[in-house]
Amino acid sequence: MRALFTGALPRTVLTVLLALVMGGVIMQVSGKDALNAYQVLFNSAFGNERALANTLLAATPLIFTGLATLIAFRAGIFNVGVEGSLYVGAFTAAWVGFTFVDLPGVVLIALAFAAGGLVGGLWGLIPGYLKARLRVDEIVTTIMLNYVAIRFTDYLVTGPFFVPGMANAMSAEVTPQAQLPRLVERSQLNLSLVVALVVFLVVAFMLRRTTLGYEVKTIGSNPVFARWIGMPVSRTIMLVMSISGLIGGLAGAGQALGVNYRFVSGFSRGLGFDGIVIALLGRGSPVGVLLSALFLGALRNGASTMEMFTRIPRDLIDIVVALVIFFTAVEIGFNWLRRRRPTPDAVPPPGSAAEPEKEGVRGNA
Amino acid sequence: MPYLELRGIRKTYPGGVLANDDITLSVEQGEIHGLVGENGAGKSTLMKILYGMEQPDHGEILLAGRSLKIANPHAAIQLGIGMVHQHFQLVPNLTVAENIALGAEPRKGLFADQAAMHSRVRALSERFGLQVDPAARVSDLSVGLQQRVEILKMLYRDARLLILDEPSAVLTPQEVESLFSVLRRLVAEGCTAIFITHKLYEIMSICERATVLRRGRVVGSVRTAESSPAEISRLMVGHDVASPQRTPPNANPRDRLVVRALTTGSAHRSTPLDFTIRSGEILGVAGVEGNGQSELIEALLGVRTGVTGDIVLDGTSLSRLNARRRREKGLALIPEDRNREGLSRPMQVWENLASATYYRSARASVLDLGGLQGAARDLIRRFDIRVSSEKSAVSTLSGGNAQKVVIARELAESPAVLIAAQPTRGLDVGAAQFVHEQLLNLRREGVGILLISADLDELLALSDRLIVMFEGRILATFQRDAATRQALGLAMAGRLESEDAP
Ligand SMILES: Nc1ncnc2c1ncn2[C@@H]1O[C@H](COP(=O)(O)OP(=O)(O)OP(=O)(O)O)[C@@H](O)[C@H]1O
Ligand SMILES: [Mg+2]
Repeated sequence: MRALFTGALPRTVLTVLLALVMGGVIMQVSGKDALNAYQVLFNSAFGNERALANTLLAATPLIFTGLATLIAFRAGIFNVGVEGSLYVGAFTAAWVGFTFVDLPGVVLIALAFAAGGLVGGLWGLIPGYLKARLRVDEIVTTIMLNYVAIRFTDYLVTGPFFVPGMANAMSAEVTPQAQLPRLVERSQLNLSLVVALVVFLVVAFMLRRTTLGYEVKTIGSNPVFARWIGMPVSRTIMLVMSISGLIGGLAGAGQALGVNYRFVSGFSRGLGFDGIVIALLGRGSPVGVLLSALFLGALRNGASTMEMFTRIPRDLIDIVVALVIFFTAVEIGFNWLRRRRPTPDAVPPPGSAAEPEKEGVRGNA
Repeated sequence: MPYLELRGIRKTYPGGVLANDDITLSVEQGEIHGLVGENGAGKSTLMKILYGMEQPDHGEILLAGRSLKIANPHAAIQLGIGMVHQHFQLVPNLTVAENIALGAEPRKGLFADQAAMHSRVRALSERFGLQVDPAARVSDLSVGLQQRVEILKMLYRDARLLILDEPSAVLTPQEVESLFSVLRRLVAEGCTAIFITHKLYEIMSICERATVLRRGRVVGSVRTAESSPAEISRLMVGHDVASPQRTPPNANPRDRLVVRALTTGSAHRSTPLDFTIRSGEILGVAGVEGNGQSELIEALLGVRTGVTGDIVLDGTSLSRLNARRRREKGLALIPEDRNREGLSRPMQVWENLASATYYRSARASVLDLGGLQGAARDLIRRFDIRVSSEKSAVSTLSGGNAQKVVIARELAESPAVLIAAQPTRGLDVGAAQFVHEQLLNLRREGVGILLISADLDELLALSDRLIVMFEGRILATFQRDAATRQALGLAMAGRLESEDAP
């Protein structure tokens, strides 16, 4: 894996710049002032304390889901199921928050996060177990489990936990002492950012310094060798998928307790999938994930403010985001292909491509 | 005028390793030119430069008198240069024919014309006596067969100048012979070849001239007819290489590894295996690759399912233990295919050296980085691994030095039983000698050793007893004194001596 990430920073910056320039061209072509748009975008993402806080607010769930995806990637597991863990984690945390209303705030918040993480982790363990023990491809199972999680939580708030008089499918509000404290005024930025940063530190430490991180790296880079040298490969795969799901569950808990104050059906709209983009853009490093989450958070936050002050629809920013994803995917896919391919000499020598008729290939000198 | 001339080639890798230092070399048309030198001397680097994979800092390449810049392998192929790499460059999931034709497939509309591709590959393989099934998946092939695919790939692209980087390291003696006849046929047809090997008798038998590299420089160029293996090896390492000394066998041996009725679960090879390795004994395993050796290794290590029978090490049954527990009981393994089974190439040297033991010194699951890196530095020194730092990625090591990483790791833990599969594959004469000495030291200390090798000389020099594997069973057992090349060769072909006895 490491070879993939050498010289990562300059190339990531290049990818992002390329996407911004292309986005700018698209704006110009559609008759908008791109330079002005980016200026407004930048100001609305970083211009003042409130803007910055809202950028961090948008980045918070992305830090979680980026890290959740990253740790699986590092072990060579393509976990697409963070979205599902996020939903089950969010519901569980909300449930704790509106059920144990007599507990004091600190205890309740800790309990809600723990429960959300636990359920998210168990959710991740399902595909982990299937992969490790039965060799079932994780991409298929995690995609399917996402649907299960989204539909199942929707059923819960429209069925057993239905609250009469509520227009949308959502749970009851969590009790006030379970609502995460805000960090600054006039922004919803809340304690879950701190939790995200703690998770960042733990993941970074785990990957660099622990036996698990070392096993993850080895399995991700050469699973056959890992098995032959005696590493607990199956156990590590299950553990990694659980941790990935756990972090996804924390992301959901943070959104439920800190932003919505309840579980809202379908609230995420792809935060878990954004984690894939962020893990790719961050090139497998926790710091890279942190920076990428901030970048994406700034774009998202800036876009919604920009829409209010310029006549540029936020769709254009979505296009920029899509371009970033596209370029990252192209570049990483390209690297991946290069590593897969035997040698760069796979390029056909001109003239040699279509001469099957020659009986021996070598013509005499 | 020489066909190929390299003038003053110099190459420094990022990180400051001076791999080639002012190398000048010339090769005549129709010649098979040998390139020899210690591990890390810069042979592969020089050839990668010629093949356009690396760019020199300095120097000039002249082909047929024309000065060339070779920007990439594509350019090299257009110039008729082909290369078989030291590390296979095949796509495991594709078939033989798909690999050979990759990027140059005959087309039928939008799709590759499978039939044309197969027939073309088959024609090529028949023509050069390189039998291989075009429809077989590369991941199912033995290393020897993969090597053939690599050669066919080069021939498929009409190469005129063939670069072969240690092609014989993974081949059996018979396969080497057939490789040589292929090469001779190719040069008779006007090709020119550069041949890298660590086996000096191969140089003597197939090359007219050989160039010797040491630490990135040319230290000599010899005509093989006027030279000797001893002279070449002196040039390579700078001093004479002494043969290792065998001590008499252990007087009171005890059983170290007892294998009873072992079946490895592959359908057509269900004949149970029985053998014992005693303390201070080297049990050699001869046999053409693909006759059950790999399955045996996997079964002994515990990474294979469907194994029955019993494996007892120093009185403890290993049969129900996983690979880690088996290693903890004193089993060590130098695997056949180091890049697949023995190393993680993107990871650092210290990480690879620590991979069998890292968890033991960990406290509360936190790695003892300082301790592990210090231990790695010791091993690098003890085993003379040529690497700039323990933090270098294994992928930047020369082939032989990568092998030394595996050997250092496996011998570091003073094993009770060592399975050594092709332990000197890719090592230079000096390093091979060093490994042989290490094996004999272990033998003296009472370790039981299972030595699996394609190199009959190695087997005959080291083994106390020899078994020959054929189609998954032990066809014959030889005491050291009774083992001759002829007898082994016959048994390896599935024939017992007695059948030919009068
Ligand atoms: N990609 C790389 N980056 C840094 N150093 C490298 C790289 N590739 C090779 N080297 C270093 O360059 C030197 C020469 O390596 P090279 O592979 O050419 O040796 P070699 O003669 O082919 O050895 P062997 O017989 O072991 O295959 C070694 O010291 C090696 O560690
Ligand atoms: Mg080499």
